Amino acid sequence: MTDILVVEKVSRRFSPRITLGDRIAGLLGATVDRRPVQAVTDVSISVRRGETLGLVGESGCGKSTLGRMLAGILAPSEGRVTLAGEPPMRHGHKVTTRIQTVFQDPFGSLNPRLRIGATIAEGPVTHGLIPRAEAGRFAGEWLARVGLDPAFAQRFPHQFSGGQRQRVAIARALAMRPEVLVCDEPVASLDVSIQAQILNLFLDLRRELGLTSLFISHDLAVVRHVSDRVAVMYLGRIVEMGAAATIYAMPRHPYTRALLDSVPKLALGGNVGVTFKPIQGELPSPLSPPAGCAFHPRCPKASDLCRQERPALLPQADGTLVACHHA
Amino acid sequence: MSAALLEVRDLRTHFHTRAGVLKAVDGVSFTLARGEILGLVGESGSGKSVTGFSLIGLVDPPGRIAGGSIRFDGQELVGLAQPAMRGLRGKRIAMVFQDPAATLNPVLTIGQQMAMAVQAHGGGGERAARELAARSLARVGIPDAVARLDAYPHEFSGGMRQRVAIAIALLHQPELIIADEPTTALDVSIQAQILAEMKALAKESGTALIWISHDLATVSSLADRVMVMYAGRIVERGPVAEVLHAPLHPYTRGLLDSLPALATPGQRLAQIPGSTPSLLSLAPGCPFAPRCARASTACGTDPPQVGDARHGALCHHPLGAGP
Repeated sequence: MTDILVVEKVSRRFSPRITLGDRIAGLLGATVDRRPVQAVTDVSISVRRGETLGLVGESGCGKSTLGRMLAGILAPSEGRVTLAGEPPMRHGHKVTTRIQTVFQDPFGSLNPRLRIGATIAEGPVTHGLIPRAEAGRFAGEWLARVGLDPAFAQRFPHQFSGGQRQRVAIARALAMRPEVLVCDEPVASLDVSIQAQILNLFLDLRRELGLTSLFISHDLAVVRHVSDRVAVMYLGRIVEMGAAATIYAMPRHPYTRALLDSVPKLALGGNVGVTFKPIQGELPSPLSPPAGCAFHPRCPKASDLCRQERPALLPQADGTLVACHHA
Repeated sequence: MSAALLEVRDLRTHFHTRAGVLKAVDGVSFTLARGEILGLVGESGSGKSVTGFSLIGLVDPPGRIAGGSIRFDGQELVGLAQPAMRGLRGKRIAMVFQDPAATLNPVLTIGQQMAMAVQAHGGGGERAARELAARSLARVGIPDAVARLDAYPHEFSGGMRQRVAIAIALLHQPELIIADEPTTALDVSIQAQILAEMKALAKESGTALIWISHDLATVSSLADRVMVMYAGRIVERGPVAEVLHAPLHPYTRGLLDSLPALATPGQRLAQIPGSTPSLLSLAPGCPFAPRCARASTACGTDPPQVGDARHGALCHHPLGAGP
């Protein structure tokens, strides 16, 4: 399999915008926080053609920022992203239609004043994939494909439920005939029964169209279900990456292990013996990440080495990459 | 076994809207023993939160309790005058909400808010109130509790804020805590910490807990018994292990089968077709019938209560009993 999407040593910082007011306050002796937030640090990954790479982590770990850089809608501060050899972004603008994104919030990502049919056909017409005269038929076909009535093309987003809107968002992204689909928490706001419908739709379309995808979620069970490979992020870095089956069966990084232990399991045999093994403490601030391994303040295995030196992401015998001194 | 702490009979909470009467809670009955943890599970719009609000007397117009009875320790709460309800609320029955950022007052320190909650129920002087507040914060695992009393809500993380909300609920050692999706907005690692603490606290203090959540897994790892709500009704109730192992209601089965955690990775999930019905235009009979694979013409009439007092469901064609 060939790599279609390659990310090399990508980092992204967000600097606070210093307003005139802040400047004056600074001159008058007030402390103005100018520290940048290091959202993503030195991440290298490659996505193979036809695979689904899952990206998991808790809020603030940088998974969405990384996804946006891959999708060509956010420029990296350092490093390089290439899609089939070409950068998806030039001079701050996305320059390719080969990668498309489905966002978490189907209420915020659809234009409320545009009919659903127009929303789906807008991109393909603009980019000349279909003639304008065909737009109506084209939108109807895509609606049918994502399990909606083609007659819905005349409706507005507010007439749809959350699950239906997410179907529209998927149709809009796939109507551009992308090679790569980035899904950023596509089922996070949906009820369980609707989540199952959307996950099934994703699995069906991926198979049918031979899609490559990056699937971002905080939900470990969902990521396990759809992914071939999984990358676990903590505080802007990838701490473990490998085949999904391996990582879930045998997590090597203490953070991955703790995260998997934290997920409430369905207590099919009753919960009499159920104990939680929560990770101690909280996520450190990305404004001042800990020295050495970022996980050391919460890690049961931490040693002096972990406090001083950051572990590199190194391959283990079975090919899983782990960034831990004690893996 | 003493009498039940809470006995709810045929509770009906309706919202009178311009579009018609919305029956958010439509004939809910259950009992809760002292020290018991009861999970209330359902999807959005199933009426689980409104059930919680009804118990604590916080249903706002156009909603009102249209009928039924809520007996708390022998006292009838439906129709209870506001001053008497206020005497109970926060003292003997406490509530923890989903969003601690919205439930804490942003311009008061944690200590001030907690002191107000103590003094609202005649908790003595300021010094005593602060001491009680500090003890309560320490109980929910907030380090350096005395110093944190002078901090404002924005100085706490989401997980810590939810701990503060739980500490406020615990102030008067209530007999019943109603928790409405208290960990939904939190990360899994923080959720696991809160779940572990709630389980220990309920056991230690003998507080009964109603845990409202959309997440079957969270409820199953915490609760003794679980109730599944759909369209304002409790369609199944029973001990957690029995409901998960051998659900009677096709909706419960469908919910379990929709979970990726129980499926083979990469395979299609068994999905429930359609979506939850609008409560404004419910057809007579079983509200789940339009989405149910087992539905028959009988489902056009109100489903009977099947099973026994421990584990039961509202269904014409329960699972494990032939088609």
